[in-house]
Amino acid sequence: MTKRNEIDALRNLSGDIWNVAVDEYAKGYLKRRDLFKYAALIGLTGFAASQGLGFSGQARAATAGGTVRVGLGQPTKAIDPVTVTDPASIGVLSQVGEYLILDDPKDGLQPKLALSWEADETAKRWTFKLRPGVKFHDGRTVTAKDVVASFERLVDPNSGSSALSAYKGILSKGGAKIVDDETVAFDLDQSNSNFPFYVSSDVYNAVILPADYAGDFEKNFNGTGPFKLESFRPKQGASFVRNPDYWGDKALPDRVEIKFFDDEQAQVVALQAGQLDVIPSTTRLELAIEGNANFKLLSVQASSHDAVHLRTDQAPFTDKRIRRALALTLDREAIVKGLLKGRAIVGNDTPFAPIFPSADSSVPQRKQDIAEAKRLLAEAGVPNGFEVTLTTERAYDIPDYAVIIQNFAKKAGIDIKLNVLPQDAYYGSATFGSSPWLDSNLGITDFGHRGTPDIFLNATLKSDGAWNSAHFKNADYDALLVEYGKARDLQAQRIAAGKIQTLLLDETPEIISYFSQYSRIASAKVEGVRFTAISHLLLDRVSFVQA
Amino acid sequence: MLTGRTLSARAASLLLTLWLVSALVFLAGQVLPGDVARVMLGPFADAQAVAALNRQLGADQPVLVQYWRWFSAALGGDFGTSLSMRAPVAPFVLASLGRSAALAGIILLFLVPLGVGAGIVAGLNQGRLTDRLIVLGGVSFGIVPDFVSGLLLLLVFGLWLNWLPITGAAPDGAGFWTSGYYLILPALPLVLNLAGYLARMTRAGVIEALAADYTRTAILKGLDRRQVIIRHVLPNALTPTIAVLATQSGYMLGGLVVIEALFGIQGLGNLVLNAAKSRDFPMLEAGVLVLATIFVLSAAIGDLVQALLDPRQRRRASL
Repeated sequence: MTKRNEIDALRNLSGDIWNVAVDEYAKGYLKRRDLFKYAALIGLTGFAASQGLGFSGQARAATAGGTVRVGLGQPTKAIDPVTVTDPASIGVLSQVGEYLILDDPKDGLQPKLALSWEADETAKRWTFKLRPGVKFHDGRTVTAKDVVASFERLVDPNSGSSALSAYKGILSKGGAKIVDDETVAFDLDQSNSNFPFYVSSDVYNAVILPADYAGDFEKNFNGTGPFKLESFRPKQGASFVRNPDYWGDKALPDRVEIKFFDDEQAQVVALQAGQLDVIPSTTRLELAIEGNANFKLLSVQASSHDAVHLRTDQAPFTDKRIRRALALTLDREAIVKGLLKGRAIVGNDTPFAPIFPSADSSVPQRKQDIAEAKRLLAEAGVPNGFEVTLTTERAYDIPDYAVIIQNFAKKAGIDIKLNVLPQDAYYGSATFGSSPWLDSNLGITDFGHRGTPDIFLNATLKSDGAWNSAHFKNADYDALLVEYGKARDLQAQRIAAGKIQTLLLDETPEIISYFSQYSRIASAKVEGVRFTAISHLLLDRVSFVQA
Repeated sequence: MLTGRTLSARAASLLLTLWLVSALVFLAGQVLPGDVARVMLGPFADAQAVAALNRQLGADQPVLVQYWRWFSAALGGDFGTSLSMRAPVAPFVLASLGRSAALAGIILLFLVPLGVGAGIVAGLNQGRLTDRLIVLGGVSFGIVPDFVSGLLLLLVFGLWLNWLPITGAAPDGAGFWTSGYYLILPALPLVLNLAGYLARMTRAGVIEALAADYTRTAILKGLDRRQVIIRHVLPNALTPTIAVLATQSGYMLGGLVVIEALFGIQGLGNLVLNAAKSRDFPMLEAGVLVLATIFVLSAAIGDLVQALLDPRQRRRASL
């Protein structure tokens, strides 16, 4: 039987850890795509290619040439990979900067400057083989020294690195080591089976830069990417040309031209007038192109979500029955369909988005149940409901989401007053005691996409988490996190995940009712625009449709 | 005549005004929540990284120290380094001033002939249909906010007719004429908005001058109508118009934030707005100072021109 042969062939590829995944795939528990993603995670990079999975560059032959014109927001500061945080800067950076690994929203982890990777038995030491012969735009060859320096810079508390919170408790200064010119090892602070995600594009600051990088990136945009700098005009825009010395398939377009806009309306108008090919997307802009065949909306599923925190140490939410009652009032399907126009998946009050292979899909989905909510409120001694203030930020769809929650909560007698603040006022100083985000009784906070749930799990819900706005302190949860981090294979990860999901569903320190998609708007004339859910914009495979 | 004393008094009050503005801006910045490193690194950044960056930028110093550092350097002509752009402030301010000036130049290029011309025609035809049309039209266009007419013009000329480029920023390396061409669409809303007011000022001046004794004398002397208007009416009629233009030029160089945003022009208004948003004090201070200087100077120039044209004011100024 071919099926049997295929499974056996797969089994021969690697050791025990891999075979668990293969078995799951054979039994139908694991989808083919997730198997590929998992293969990438444990470093079986040749595997996916051998299975004929269309990787970048292997797609149909496309015509080369032309200039891709892109609209982006205004970068909020000088573009420097070490401190970058805003979507526009990440979009610019994607043209020239590369990572060890790309977390592709379709195909999972893709080897870039790293060729392969593996962990030791404890998942505490990870070793990466670098791709030989990769050159920076200034002509120097990338070596282990550059890679180690890039990561040492990011975990140095004095560098002003904005990746510091991502690496907290995972990687510290001195953790990255040169093994030889083409091999780098990472000694982690604690076991982590998802570490490849941490050196991937998911940590958008982890661009590989020369060892002697001095913080003046805007001068020459010296990276390894498929395009190199032509000109940069601060506050105005940048242009890039094809890098003839690129290690991989050369970029199809001759040039990329990026223009910065202060106003999103101006972007969509410029797109409509044919002066731009690609712009970011928001629900407001989507209305402008809806039903127009000249434009298309491109989307990738993300783990982005708006987390509703309930302060577990403050009345009325000290009683978990009250927290559950509020969560039970929401009709999640309706929210996804109405608020998010269907471009989202329903959440189950934990950061384990269904797109994570480690999420345990057997945990029952919480659904709207007003009768049960009322019963829980009565049991908790507040049969007639209560009054509470929901504090949040005026950004994206959040104010509308707040009103929706207000209306659903009313059905169980919970009377929510809204306090919608400007975004920076809501975050305040982002430290406990002087931040409505971290101090409010009930709040909604936007979290961008991550490739693994680790940062959400650690920072927002762990007892000493820096973003623990629910003030959730639970020793069992903290212990389960350690178990999850140590789990070396997918099955063990999923068992730990299931326990965490069940515990969070029972305790409900947070309500997560959806995970939204990330979109961009493009002219129908361009093909091959790729992007990640955290603002990377990959244009090297773009071609123009002939009229 | 204008004496040296009045000029130096004027200059001294200008410097005092600018100093007060600079101090007020620094103080006002303190009221804003958050700090520069937090804004730069985002709410999810580690507190350690925020503190480190603030230390690097010198933003952890007391505000008086920061202000003194900035002020003493500015006295020496050094406007400091932008905290968010990590580069000297002066080139940014100069470049955005240049872009604002180009926009203002195009606006004036259309505005002056249109507004003044219409005003003269209306004044000479007082009470007739032409006059009423010009006044009514001017008032109608004047009450439409520039961002509304801006959007409409953009839709009509940019999207439907496709005659003019949608963005005000010309492509990299564009020459003088191309850059000007890109600024026509952004300039039009302001031209429409201000032309009516300018026309009414001119019209009032023309009517006043027509009724004045010297005009009657000139006519009685037997000069032809054209001579009377050019020699006697217009010089007197345009004095208030020039004062209005001077004040409006100040506004055009820094007050067009919405138009600049709508057409993607990185002008002075945008620069100041973004500097305030990102708590970039050196940039904010320099931007606001340039704006304040322009406002004060354009008012002073307006006064000066008026004084030169009007003997009565000249006498008053020298008192």
